[in-house]
Amino acid sequence: MNYPVWFVPTFGGGLLIALVAIIHVFVSHFAVGGGLYLVMAERKAIKEKSQAIMDFVKKHTKFFMLLTMVFGGLTGVAIWFVISLIHPAATSLLIHTFVFGWAAEWVFFLVEIVALFVYFYTFGKMDDRTHQAIGWIYFGAAWMSLFLINGIIDFMLTPGSWISNSDFWSGFFNPTFWPSLFFRSFMSFMLAGCYGFLTATFLEDEATRHRMVRYSGTWALISLILSVPAGWWYLSVLPSPAAKLVSGASPTIKRAVMTGGFSLAVLAGVLIALILLNPKARIRCLIVAVMLSAMGYMGAFEWTREAARRPYVINEVMYSNGILKKDVERINQDGFLKNAKWVQNKEVTETNQLEAGRELFLHQCFACHTVGGFNNDIVSRTKNMSFGAMRKYLATIHEKRYFMPPFVGTDTELKALAAYLTAGLHKKPLTDDAGATGDHGKVLYEENCAACHSADSIKPKMKGWDLAKVRASLDKLPALNPAMPDYTAPPADKDAMAGYLFKLNNSGAAPAAKGQGASLYEENCAACHSMDQIKPKMTGWTRDKIRAALDKLSALNSAMPDYTGTPAEKDAMANYMAQQTGGAK
Amino acid sequence: MNPATLIPTADTLTAHWGWFQLLLMLTFPLHLIAMNAMLGTTLTAFVAHLFPGRAHRELAHELAKALPFLVAFTINLGVAPLLFVNVIYGHLLYSSTVLMGLFWLAVIPILIIAYYLAYIYDFSFKKLGNLAMFVLLIVLVLLMSVGFIFSNNMTMMISPASWTRWFSTPGGSLLNLADPTLLSRYLHMMTGSLAVGGLCVALYSSVVLKHDKEVSEAGVKLGMQLFTWLTGLQLLVGTWFLLTLPSVIMKRFMGGTTVATGLLATGILLAFASLITGYQRRVMPTLWLTLPLVYVMSFMRDSVRTGYLTPYFDMTKVPANVQWSPLIFFLVTLVLGIGVIVWMLSRLQIFKKS
Repeated sequence: MNYPVWFVPTFGGGLLIALVAIIHVFVSHFAVGGGLYLVMAERKAIKEKSQAIMDFVKKHTKFFMLLTMVFGGLTGVAIWFVISLIHPAATSLLIHTFVFGWAAEWVFFLVEIVALFVYFYTFGKMDDRTHQAIGWIYFGAAWMSLFLINGIIDFMLTPGSWISNSDFWSGFFNPTFWPSLFFRSFMSFMLAGCYGFLTATFLEDEATRHRMVRYSGTWALISLILSVPAGWWYLSVLPSPAAKLVSGASPTIKRAVMTGGFSLAVLAGVLIALILLNPKARIRCLIVAVMLSAMGYMGAFEWTREAARRPYVINEVMYSNGILKKDVERINQDGFLKNAKWVQNKEVTETNQLEAGRELFLHQCFACHTVGGFNNDIVSRTKNMSFGAMRKYLATIHEKRYFMPPFVGTDTELKALAAYLTAGLHKKPLTDDAGATGDHGKVLYEENCAACHSADSIKPKMKGWDLAKVRASLDKLPALNPAMPDYTAPPADKDAMAGYLFKLNNSGAAPAAKGQGASLYEENCAACHSMDQIKPKMTGWTRDKIRAALDKLSALNSAMPDYTGTPAEKDAMANYMAQQTGGAK
Repeated sequence: MNPATLIPTADTLTAHWGWFQLLLMLTFPLHLIAMNAMLGTTLTAFVAHLFPGRAHRELAHELAKALPFLVAFTINLGVAPLLFVNVIYGHLLYSSTVLMGLFWLAVIPILIIAYYLAYIYDFSFKKLGNLAMFVLLIVLVLLMSVGFIFSNNMTMMISPASWTRWFSTPGGSLLNLADPTLLSRYLHMMTGSLAVGGLCVALYSSVVLKHDKEVSEAGVKLGMQLFTWLTGLQLLVGTWFLLTLPSVIMKRFMGGTTVATGLLATGILLAFASLITGYQRRVMPTLWLTLPLVYVMSFMRDSVRTGYLTPYFDMTKVPANVQWSPLIFFLVTLVLGIGVIVWMLSRLQIFKKS
């Protein structure tokens, strides 16, 4: 709201960040681990007086120089460029908070460049001791870069006590700082080991090849093993919403953690162990598999870290769309458009509703949703929802789906956004009552389920199900599919929705009204009198008499409040009661 | 629409604004010098290819070796001032960056390609033969296009009046081409950069390449010629730039404010003096005149920025929540880092002497 939005409808910024970040994460960790690998391998060459190993190290250094300095350095700058374009508000907050951390990181980057240049260009031209010292400086500076950036990145997931005291060090040494530092360090050593492992297989001299394969493999294996408890430690210190997302509330994250992460670690471990048992074999394809597994392992971790802070870009501080959590209440009162800088419609009127809605979409939703693109496409996600259902959905969007930020603004603005998402994108009518057929179950379905799947798409999946099965399934949605959140509505709503869903495959049946009637009775009447208690009182009553009585309960008994349900609900309840008391229709 | 209403609220600073201004003004000229050396080296090496003979060929080869270092240091030394610009002017910079997002992002692939081409030129110099000069030409064009993108962003961030275009073109495809100062400013920067770059080549040739007298002389001659011609040209381009500035800002340099006027006068004096020493091909005196000139020029640039932003933004009014320890941590790191770098370079000298 404070900044303009880079609007490329079909291409979401998130994807771009992910792309650049993934490249940079691999290269930068590789550079850190590589620093240590180079010095240690050089030490081995000096100790064993092996020119072949020394040549191998020099060759590696050249590759490191070309890869890490050019690609690593520039993709690091690229992340900065991209995030300031996609998340300017968050970038500004991070830069302002940690400017001197970043400035110190720049110093280490400078030292790293000088050290690597000196190290590479003085191979064999400098005494071993000094050359090794330069190598250690290179590694030390690279690792310090990791140390500093680690603090800032983890701050985004766990800002800790910074939220209350705004203190640099509280934010820097945040709750996930240390486990993440250990994990990243081991990861970087592992990547470097894997690379050494791969390149060693190309060595012509057999004895050297065996030695370096074994050396690099052991290096990678130990780092990998040590990274597992560090990763576990990291997950265990996550605060509750993030931990919940990771442990299953977000099934995609859980999948990434469990399969993407630890199974790949196991795979890499097994493969390394296998190859170590037989270092003479040149099984490069297996080592490539190890390398890819290791990268997958690391990628899964990074992806989890990014995803676990949803719906925030800085956890508990700023939502993904740049809105500060602390401002939400004020903006809900004053209105979003009035507070936003980069909007043309400062308030919603009858004539500008769709245009204002589009601006609200741009500033509140586009950070994560493309329009007709391949990343969280808003068009396909909203096609099953009516205007009324969308309004209700938006009103509790954050409560229903934690990883989505709440809508921020007034009711009129919410209506404008809903109008844009339905009438604007799909030319749907702007009628307030979503249930055009008057079916409560259908309305509930649209509000709660249609964002992910249309009624048509789930119809075949429930073929042959009886009403009880449909109803029971609504109590345990995650068991049906881990991607589905629990449906936490009152039983009456579940009954109504079950009725609607059952009808999809059984159009002749009318169980919905029955189910709904029973629930309505339970909700409105059963607290004072059970069905068994009132049955005798209604002996011989026709269904119509019951229906008429529901319109004037206080007249029957002054202690009874009037029932304020809709005519359809009264019909449903009357049907149910008539059925229970044996009254004719 | 009043463009001032578009300006985002600036975030709270963590130190007095003066610190950021000081660090910005200290580090930006360092980036300029590295960038100038990089551009000058590329151009001089290209020109050297046009001359026949061993000396020029060797000169091109020697310059080729230096090019990847210069690209690396230009990028590194650009990070610090960009960081401090982000702190002081971030809210303005991010806004203009979004407007020209596509071009801004293009900086990265352009630099990666230029950087790798510089390495290809260095490592495959002999293999490339005559192709080498075309590789250089591509590097030069790429690097100068990065400068053009930066000129666009730096002029757009100080002109909120141009921001309303976002409402009709939000896809990040805007440049600041309608700004009458853009071209003159860009050419002013490039002319100055290539001139200073020529001087850097002359310095490199006279100090590092002195073991080969012929090559060293060729380098000094080419570098100093480049410096003198382009500095002469700069008197025209610079005047043009001054005249294209809005009159309120131009007047700052014409007696409007003492500091700006003093800076312009000093700049002109230094430029004339360096022209004379440059014409005489005296490298060191020219260097000692040009280094302060680079600082004067970047101060003038800052004064132009302040002039543009006067109606919109006053950095002294940004709230600050001062925390000393992170600043001290950075300063200590900086001192230690410089110490370590000096130590490493000193080892290099020892190796050279031995």
